[in-house]
Amino acid sequence: MNAQSPIPSPEPVLPPRRPLNWTAKVRDLGVLVAAIGIGVAFALIAPGFLSTYNLLNLLRQTAELGIIAMAMTVLIVSGEFDLSVGATYAVTGVVAGLLFQVAGINIWLAGCGGLSAALFLGFLNGLLVTSARMNSFIATLATMMVFRGLAMVLSQGQPLSSFPDLAFFEVVGRAKLFGSIPVPILWLAVWGFLLYVLLHRTTYGVTVFATGDNREAANLAGIRTDRVKRLNFLLTALAAGVAGLISMGYLKTVTPTQGTGLELEAIAAAVIGGTSMRGGVGSVGGAFLGALIMAEIRTGLVLMGTNAYLQDACVGLIIAIAVILNMRISASRGT
Amino acid sequence: MTPPPLLRLRALGKSFGRVIALRAVSLELDRGRIYGLAGENGAGKSTLVRILCGAHGGDFEGQIELDGRPFAPRNPAEAEAAGIGVFHQEIPICPNLSVAANVFLGPRMGGTSVFPRWPAIEARCRQLFRSLLDHEIDPGRLLGDCGAAERQLTLLVRALSRQARLIILDEPTTALAPGDVARLFVALRRLRDQGISLLFISHLLPELMELTDEIYILRDGRLVDHLQRQVYDARHLASQIAGKPLDETATSRQVPATIPRLEVRRLGCKGRFQDLSFQVMPGEILGVTGLQGSGRSDLARALFAAPPADSGTILVQGAETRWLRPRDAMAAGIGFVPDDRNTLGLFDDLDIQRNLGLCQLKSLATSGWLHRGRLRELAESLQRRLQIKMAHPAAPITSLSGGNQQKVLIARWLATKPLLLVMSEPTRGVDVGAKEEIGKLILRLADEGLAFILCSSDLDELLRLADRILVLHAGRFTAEFRRGTATRADLIHASAGANRLPGSVTIP
Repeated sequence: MNAQSPIPSPEPVLPPRRPLNWTAKVRDLGVLVAAIGIGVAFALIAPGFLSTYNLLNLLRQTAELGIIAMAMTVLIVSGEFDLSVGATYAVTGVVAGLLFQVAGINIWLAGCGGLSAALFLGFLNGLLVTSARMNSFIATLATMMVFRGLAMVLSQGQPLSSFPDLAFFEVVGRAKLFGSIPVPILWLAVWGFLLYVLLHRTTYGVTVFATGDNREAANLAGIRTDRVKRLNFLLTALAAGVAGLISMGYLKTVTPTQGTGLELEAIAAAVIGGTSMRGGVGSVGGAFLGALIMAEIRTGLVLMGTNAYLQDACVGLIIAIAVILNMRISASRGT
Repeated sequence: MTPPPLLRLRALGKSFGRVIALRAVSLELDRGRIYGLAGENGAGKSTLVRILCGAHGGDFEGQIELDGRPFAPRNPAEAEAAGIGVFHQEIPICPNLSVAANVFLGPRMGGTSVFPRWPAIEARCRQLFRSLLDHEIDPGRLLGDCGAAERQLTLLVRALSRQARLIILDEPTTALAPGDVARLFVALRRLRDQGISLLFISHLLPELMELTDEIYILRDGRLVDHLQRQVYDARHLASQIAGKPLDETATSRQVPATIPRLEVRRLGCKGRFQDLSFQVMPGEILGVTGLQGSGRSDLARALFAAPPADSGTILVQGAETRWLRPRDAMAAGIGFVPDDRNTLGLFDDLDIQRNLGLCQLKSLATSGWLHRGRLRELAESLQRRLQIKMAHPAAPITSLSGGNQQKVLIARWLATKPLLLVMSEPTRGVDVGAKEEIGKLILRLADEGLAFILCSSDLDELLRLADRILVLHAGRFTAEFRRGTATRADLIHASAGANRLPGSVTIP
């Protein structure tokens, strides 16, 4: 009954062997090359760009955006967006500040209170998108305005400042490790490591990719895609909360308008880092590099003494170039 | 006592409202055999498959027994747990994940742990491909980078790694190149020899006859025949699928021999069709048929430059054309009525007269100012000419029946005084009476000199209307029939890629 065998020999049908996930590797490498190239260019033009002080400052400035952008990447990979992170960032600071100054609660507990508020807001976003079946763009556009309003109402539109000198502010945002490295860089590294492991090394990460890649297939494989998305909304909200606390620690000030536009910068960083807006493609490392490139351009242009209004235009240009390059890389892969 | 068959259907039935999709179908599937399921579109094949894979939520008449026990899957997960794996035409894969990840995709990734050990998973994947299919694969490759055949083998392995005992394949070969089909068949026979049952659904008679051990034939929701491999006969199968040979009531028409309205020379579109050449005379109705994926609808679209073909020439009234977009084709006098009225043809939020005047806006306006009086006149004259039943030209388009909506689409083009009308599925989704009426309309317009190209899967319609029928298979013409020389069975046979039958004319 084996008349139809022998099978056509397997050798000729084997595809030419490529390194694993060739496209992803090329894309990450490309972003890295771009980040280095832009750095070198600025170093040549603007003396002082390569100084240790400036580089550390650059990383410190990347910290808040980077933390949010990496979480945003995980969410976008699963096929959703969160436009409310900037507002959540403000709510976290306002809640923590009020709990400390008005309610007189211990500053550490107040910080935890701020994070809990952020998580609750992320939970609401997840609910709107998965249970109410709203498009995440619309849902989080709405909650962005609601959350921002919440921050304004709670603080009566006034900034909170004149916090006393406490260990909390040092640990969260002001201290310098080994006398020179600002502590936000440590938090950026820790958060980046955790998210890298989560997205690229765990089974949960695979389910995130599958959810964004083909939701139908993921459902058929027994993955609870709604749950994946809800968890990822919690993750972006947590990232916004952490970044909000870092800002509070560093500046010792909280304003209800802080973080306006942060959500778009985070999405931009993710996109520069090679994340596909359609879901299913992206990397945590790429998002970090994307955030770094944006900070590089801003600092570089400042050091060059360019008009401040030109900065946004340049960042916009970089986004457009990055997306075009990404599409070229994707299109060049075999079928 | 002999063990019960793997799967037994007893008087299985299913209806959607007043439409009966499946009537009292009883059949048995045994272990380790390949069964074919044949029938035309709408014969009930997909309904049967959807019941078996739980997509109809257990809502059907009759009984299903699996291993002699009652079985009524309410969702795809239940069917899968019971050992039924289904391949749909649309393959659910994650193209940006590796082969191995797709095989073991799930909340636990094949039960490894929180941190999947990729080398072990990939080794297991490679091992499964070897033992089940005797196929070497690179498990780390992204599935999106693999060919269509690899994707299907991956899904096969995925189903088998979940202990599937019956695998249902719904038109699995439509996306495959011939060499890949051979490899898939080798794999399927291997699985049969390991005791797995397969239900293979295909339009293609040669494939059914080559692969299967038994064939069940459905027609109009009924099981009409059950054949064993020993008695397979292409003619018999084709006529059983088509039903009784229909008497040809075709009227004979005279087509003048002058300069062709449209001439197509060696038209090609990469991956869709190649080397198509034909002519259409004024007043001629040319039918083009073929199975899904044969290039039938792609050809229709290419004739309207939406998108244009990559190679070859199109001549209108003997003059060569170069079309880049539908606008160019319109300017040359071509009209196009798409197959999907609602998504590609009509504008639901515009009223009837605006839907009618849409291709004609320039002549209805002076420097951008739309004359509502002229629009209304146009609508009323078209209404009289085509007998469109409507309350008022300003009524919503959605108030019309399907047949009258189709007339609106034809009328839209008539307003531009075209030379040739390309229609894709001219009467899909309209009721029988309206079908008749639209057919008469097409014949009348052809008598007035308008040329037609009807790309259709409705064979009766083509046999009734077309002066000539070209049959496409895998992007090439396999046969040409003049009016009155073809039967349904001939067309089915030629669509399936079978060699030319007596009565057909060879295409040069």
